[in-house]
This record gives sequence, C-alpha cells and structure tokens, in this order.
Amino acid sequence: MRSLRKNALVGGFTSAAASIAVVCAVLFAYIDRTTLNRFDNSMLDRHTQLAVAVNNYLSDLEQLDIALVDPAYSRAYSGRYWQIESMDGRVFTSPSLFGSMLELPEKQKDGLQVWESVDPDGVRMRGLHQDVTVSDGTVWRVAVVEELSEFWAERSQTRKNLLLGFAFIGLLGVAGAMLQTTSILRPLTRLRDDILSRWDAGEDLDPMAYPSEVAPIVGDINALMQRNQEILARARRQSADLAHALKTPSAILRNELRELELDGADINSAVEALERIDRQVRRSLARMRADNVASSVGVSIDIGKSVSRFSKTFSSLATRQGKQFETLDNLPPNIYMRMEREDFEEILGNLLDNALKWCRGSLRLSAYTDDGKAVVEIEDDGPGIPEHEREAALAPGQRLDTSAPGTGLGLAIVADLVAAYGAELSLTQSEALGGLKVQIALPAKARVSKLAAE
Amino acid sequence: MRVLVVEDEPQLSDQIQKVLEVEGHAVDVADNGIDGQFLGETEPYDSIVLDLGLPGRDGISVLKEWRRTGVETPVLILTARDDWSDRVDGLDAGADDYMSKPFNTPELCARVRAMIRRGTGNSSPTFQFGGVEFDSRSSRTMLDGVPVVLTSQETAVLSYLFHNSGRLVSRTELSEHIYDYDGDKDSNTIAVFVTRLRKKLGQDFIVTVRGGGYMIAA
Repeated sequence: MRSLRKNALVGGFTSAAASIAVVCAVLFAYIDRTTLNRFDNSMLDRHTQLAVAVNNYLSDLEQLDIALVDPAYSRAYSGRYWQIESMDGRVFTSPSLFGSMLELPEKQKDGLQVWESVDPDGVRMRGLHQDVTVSDGTVWRVAVVEELSEFWAERSQTRKNLLLGFAFIGLLGVAGAMLQTTSILRPLTRLRDDILSRWDAGEDLDPMAYPSEVAPIVGDINALMQRNQEILARARRQSADLAHALKTPSAILRNELRELELDGADINSAVEALERIDRQVRRSLARMRADNVASSVGVSIDIGKSVSRFSKTFSSLATRQGKQFETLDNLPPNIYMRMEREDFEEILGNLLDNALKWCRGSLRLSAYTDDGKAVVEIEDDGPGIPEHEREAALAPGQRLDTSAPGTGLGLAIVADLVAAYGAELSLTQSEALGGLKVQIALPAKARVSKLAAE
Repeated sequence: MRVLVVEDEPQLSDQIQKVLEVEGHAVDVADNGIDGQFLGETEPYDSIVLDLGLPGRDGISVLKEWRRTGVETPVLILTARDDWSDRVDGLDAGADDYMSKPFNTPELCARVRAMIRRGTGNSSPTFQFGGVEFDSRSSRTMLDGVPVVLTSQETAVLSYLFHNSGRLVSRTELSEHIYDYDGDKDSNTIAVFVTRLRKKLGQDFIVTVRGGGYMIAA
C-alpha cells in the first residue's frame, strides 16, 4: 500500500539530493576555475618578477637566485621552479631544480604560454613561459613552473568542506520534510480517530474543526456515512416488505390447505412444499441481512441494554412455560460494539429461543467482558448436541432432532451473522447445566458517554 | 369470548375470523390501525390479534396507545416481521404473545385460548363445576361424563361464565362478550340461553342474582 509519509520522505530526500548534486557541480566548477585563476595569477607574478630580474641582472645572471628571494626556489625539489634559456643555448635554473632542467615546450605563439608537464619526481606541474627581449637586445625564454599538488589539495579541501556543509543542509532538509509531513498528515490522523469515535458516538464530524483542504473530505465522509445508513435502512425496509409480501400469502395458502384437509384432501406434499418455500424465504432474508453487514460501516450499540431487554422478555416467556431463567449479567456499564442492534438481538433471540425450546427446566444467560471482547453465553439443561454433530448444527436447515418445533435455521442464522461481524461462535457442553452451551465473543470496548463525561 | 382481529389482508383476516368463530368466539375485524385502535378502546374484547404492518397506524403504536389508555386486553401480535428485535419491541410495548407469519391456524387458536385463560386468571384449559366439565380447546361439554350438545351461543355463554367463575356477570356484560360488533346485543336473549343451559346441565349450575346477573360459583 502506498504511504503518503514514505512518498513525502522519499520525494523530499530525492529532491534534496538532486538539488545538492546540481549546486555542488556548479559550485565545484566555479571553485576550480577561481582556484586555478588564483594559481595562474600567482605564477604570472613570479614570471614577471623573473623577467624583470633577468633584465636587471644581465651582466651576472648567476646572481638571479639571490635576487629571487622566494625560499621555495632555493629548496631542492620544492615543487616551485624557474628556468631561463637564451637563443644561443645558455640556460640558468633555480637551485630548487638541483641541477636538472625543465623540458620547455616549443614556442606556439607570441606572449605568455601555459603548459603542463611533470617534474623530476613525476608530479604534475603547471607553468608559464614567454620569449622576452631584454635591454641588450637578446631574447630569453623565461619560464616559471609549480607543482599542482598544492592546488589539488586546496581544491580537495574546499570540496570536502562544501560537501560536509551540504550534507548537513541535506539532513536538515530531510528532518524538515519529516516534520512537515507529520504536520500535514496530522489532520488526516485526527480525522481517522474522529471517524472511529464518531462510529462509537453516532455523531457527525465537524468540518470546521479541520483545515480548509481537509474540510470538504470531512463533509463528504459525513454524507457517505449517512448515505450508508440510509442504504442499510432501506435494505432492511425492503427486506421487511418482501417478508410481508411473501409470508402473508403463504399464511393464506396454509390456511386454505387446512380447510381442504378438513374436507378430506391429502395436503401433506403441498404443506411440505410450502414449508420448504417458507424456510427458503426465511433463509434468504437472513442471508440478505448478513450480506448487508459487509456494506455497512456499522453503528455502535450498548450491548448491556439489549442483554437486559432480552433477559426481561425471556424471563417472562420462561415463567409462562414453567421454566427457570437465570441471568448473570456481569457486563460493566457502557460496553459498546460496532454492530447493528437488530443483528445482535437476532443472535441473542435465536439462541435464547433455542435454549428455551430445548431445555428441560432451566436456561441461563451470562454476559461479561474478557480481553477486549464482550462474551455472551447461553446454556441450558436440555439434551445438548454431541460433539461430532456440532458443526452440522450450524449448517442451514439442519434439525438434529425434530421433536421440537422449528425450522432448524436459528443456529445457521446466528453463525452467518457472527461470521459477518468477524466474531467467534463456539458450541460446547454446559458444565453448570449439562446441556448445550453456546458462546459468542464479539469485539467490544468501553466508552464513557458524553453525558457521563460532562 | 369476543376477539378483535386487526389485519389488513382481507383473505387472511377472513380465514382467522372463520377459524376463531368455529372455536365459538365472537370476532370483529378491523383492516387498519385507526379503526383497530378505536374498537380496542371502546369494545370489551377478551383477546386481540394484532398485525404490526397496518395502514393508517402501525401495530406497535396502536398497542402502546391501548396500554397507555388502560386497555389491558391480552394482545397477540401476528406479523411477517420475525426479527427478534421486532418481537421483543412488541412484547415490550405490552403484547402478551407473538406469532410470525406464516402460521398454523390451530396454533393461533391455541395461543388465543391461552391468552384468554391467562387474562381471566385460569391456568387449565378445562373447567369443572359439580358434574359439568367444559374443555375450552374443543368446546366440548360433559355432564357426569356424558357429552352434552350445546348451540354455539350456549357454548359462548358457558365459556364466558366458566372463565369468570366466582364473579358475578351481568347480562349486559355477557351480551357484550358473546356477540360481535354487528350482532344483536339484546340482553334479554341471554336469559333464554341461561334457561336452556340450566335445562341441559342442571338447575343449580348457574346462580342468578336478581338485578345483578349470573355466576358459576368457584
């Protein structure tokens, strides 16, 4: 999945690196040129000094090394040298050449000429030479030369300093990009948190609480969530309408068949077919309900309220049938989960109805929280379901025992809904009552209501 | 016993009316919530069968209004909505029982009978006083173990008096509970039915309190 933070960091880093590379290339070229110019200018000064000295010391050119006071000219192989050659073959060199001579290039043009060569130690040098006509009319080729190692060292040090500086600037840029990205993404992070809490509280988001760039998205999310709720509500209405449209005629048909039976007609196969249709209708409506869950963002419901409501109703139904109904409601207050209330109550109703139908005399509803989940257990003292039949009991239309009335859809409907919400369902034997124990564990969390907080 | 059926599907309400009448009940039918609410508030029914999806006013609102205004008649909700939330909503609103469509008419009749029994404080479907036995499930009457043939009106009077045994029942009350809305509620004919019952079941079986009415002693 693409990450805005990663994209911003990679983009920022790449952009900073490219900018620094271009700036470095331009700056290095400028620095090289400036440093070389300075090197050449310094050499030009020394060449001028040598040419003047040649003119001044024509009578005794051996004195040149005294006149040129630069100690580098006196130190052997110092890297800085001079040499003069007359047209008649006389040659004078700086003591730094220590008796060796420079190979001067041929004259290419009038005036100063730059040339590069290697010194006696094999080090690259750069020099200037010019044919100079002195006061007695003789022509001397005057040359100064200097090793480039110092120039390179200076250039290298300058580049190194610059690179360190730019690296630091680059790091500052990346850190800035990270801070900026975090700052830009903060409203989106808050929006995500707000959407989650909005689900819990069932409230609209406030677009005015967000930056102007994000506010339209907030408005769209509000509209989308409302639309989602409307679609879900409409689907439920349509499902109810469809149920009414199919079930009422089915009831009429069933009653007509009964009339025919009273007149002596054999209606068994017709009743069986009708029951198949009824089961299919109920099953399809239940599937439609479970499928709707996938497209729903869900609302937050207080499960304690539903548990209490159903406990009251089933307690009264059990009493009417002479059975004992016990509720162990250990749910802390304000336990919410993201689920349609009708779906949670459909799970609860089907399980309690099954337990009431199958129990011999007692059934129990327990509710508690465990490790971030709301756990609801319904157990009875009925015959239970053998372990090897429990999986089959969750399949639609499975009636393991036909001695009690029912369609055999209850557990399958519960299994569908539990799966649609990503909850857990387990069938075991009740230790307390001996019959079946059905346990469902649903993701839930405690929420302090706004009223309580205020 | 007098039963109100509030159901907007005419074929279904006809079927329910017919089967309840065969059981010996006087049945009124309303095909919308507004008429149903009015009849429930103004007529003394022993039981009401109420659909939830009604035109005019929905069944839950009608039921809540009955309970708010003190109508305590037992109500059986009969609806195509079989979600458990709807069922518990209905029971929370004051219904006594709940049936989903499609349903079997014998089960409907049994539920109505059970509601009437619970509403009058009786737990058993059979009643006995002296040598007379009355089974509210089959409407069969026996005297000293011998079946006695009764007309539907006689059965209705006997059933009402048995359900309210130990209580003085006026002629007017009897006529209001054995005739439907359009029936001729002439309380004088009640005396005729009581006389016939005495002839068939024994003179001391039903006590007459002058100016008060009739009673089967508990």
